Amino acid sequence: MSFADRLRQDFSTLTLVLIPVAIAINIAIGQLIVSLQIPIYLDSIGTVLVAALAGPWAGLATGALTNLIWGLSGINPAYTPYAIVAAVIGLLAGWFANIGWFKSVVKVAIAGLITGVVAAALSAPITALVYGGVTGTATDVIVGLLQSAGASVFGAAFGQGLVSDPLDKLATFLVAWAIIRALPMRTVARFPRAQNVTA
Amino acid sequence: MLIYLTGRSGRLHGLNPITKVMLTLVVIVCGFVLPGVWATWLVFGSIVLPLSLWGGIAGPLLRAVARITLPFAISLFVIQGLFFPGGTPILSLGPVSFKAEGLQFALLFASRLFLLSSAFMLLLLTTHPGLLMLALVQRGLPANLAYIIVATLQIVPRFQARAASILDAQRARGLETTGSLVRRLRAIVPLVGPLVLGSLVDVEERAIAIEARGFSLRRPKTSLIDIPDSRAEKGLRRGLIIAPVALIVARLAGWLR
Repeated sequence: MSFADRLRQDFSTLTLVLIPVAIAINIAIGQLIVSLQIPIYLDSIGTVLVAALAGPWAGLATGALTNLIWGLSGINPAYTPYAIVAAVIGLLAGWFANIGWFKSVVKVAIAGLITGVVAAALSAPITALVYGGVTGTATDVIVGLLQSAGASVFGAAFGQGLVSDPLDKLATFLVAWAIIRALPMRTVARFPRAQNVTA
Repeated sequence: MLIYLTGRSGRLHGLNPITKVMLTLVVIVCGFVLPGVWATWLVFGSIVLPLSLWGGIAGPLLRAVARITLPFAISLFVIQGLFFPGGTPILSLGPVSFKAEGLQFALLFASRLFLLSSAFMLLLLTTHPGLLMLALVQRGLPANLAYIIVATLQIVPRFQARAASILDAQRARGLETTGSLVRRLRAIVPLVGPLVLGSLVDVEERAIAIEARGFSLRRPKTSLIDIPDSRAEKGLRRGLIIAPVALIVARLAGWLR
């Protein structure tokens, strides 16, 4: 199958309807977590969900659009520059699903941790170049500590990411996996990459 | 959740959305290419502020920008002021001291952030997202992409309301959402589960509904809304393409310091 055909199949009408719902899940749960004051983000559950059910390219689109829309709606324009990180998270999640890592809980957890490290590495230059190393939240204390220990602005931002991102993506992947498990089989079966998540 | 301001006729609201998108991009390029704090504030004072006054949105714009940039600015001045690598101490507070270089760094980034978010708000406060997407589709943006963006903007507020009512309902059943971290982490599943599962069941029905209305039809579609585009605006847009290119060339050639 050619790449264009593959894309046409992945972006079925069902996928196109799922993506807005997934983005809304990202945003609503992201805000909910803030209100519970839990020190992770959990703002990419929808992205991982789409990536597992409809492939890496649909995951990529969901991630990028989440941050774009977060800005466009005026809720939090500061997240928009991180669209590229969100896109890579979707891409990676879809790729892990393709090689069959969404069929066992242990592999889902490992995939989450790896994605977290990659996300930290990609976020650091954005945090350093656009925001001068800070995120305007409580985790900035870590940045201050690392800088006073001699780290550069970039190094401190990366260190802060390494503390929070792998844990966050681990939780995100596990929640997304649990949601797919809880969906009725007949719903899952209608998505283009259903074979990635069913044993 | 939209911050688009209705009921303010004419002027900025009436411009073609494409013109406003380009204007925003030009201001953002200026913010990063022009050297130093003074240039950033010059761009704000000479482009963004006059336009917002002309469009009658200066008040809401400044409030929105302050809400976004203030947490960053505070963090920047405290963290970079105190912990910037190296630098000359100018004010000692016990074991730590504010450093001149750190404060300059903080001022530069806070100013840039202020300029960027004000440019972004200029677009968002005066442009309805539906109209913006329509204008982009007429210029070749895939209609599927526009559907996703517009549909999301409609779904998110409903979702947030649903999340709030699930939170209330589970609290009424005795779910603890305060207290230790473990207790709060445990509250995630009973909150996320109903929200997500309920919404995924609707997805299939909606797919059938839009299919029945010719969503995947591959031929030109007509629109009820006509987007105004004057000749003056077309000329202005041409100028807006040249400006950032000239700036980048000047910076690379070393004329701007």
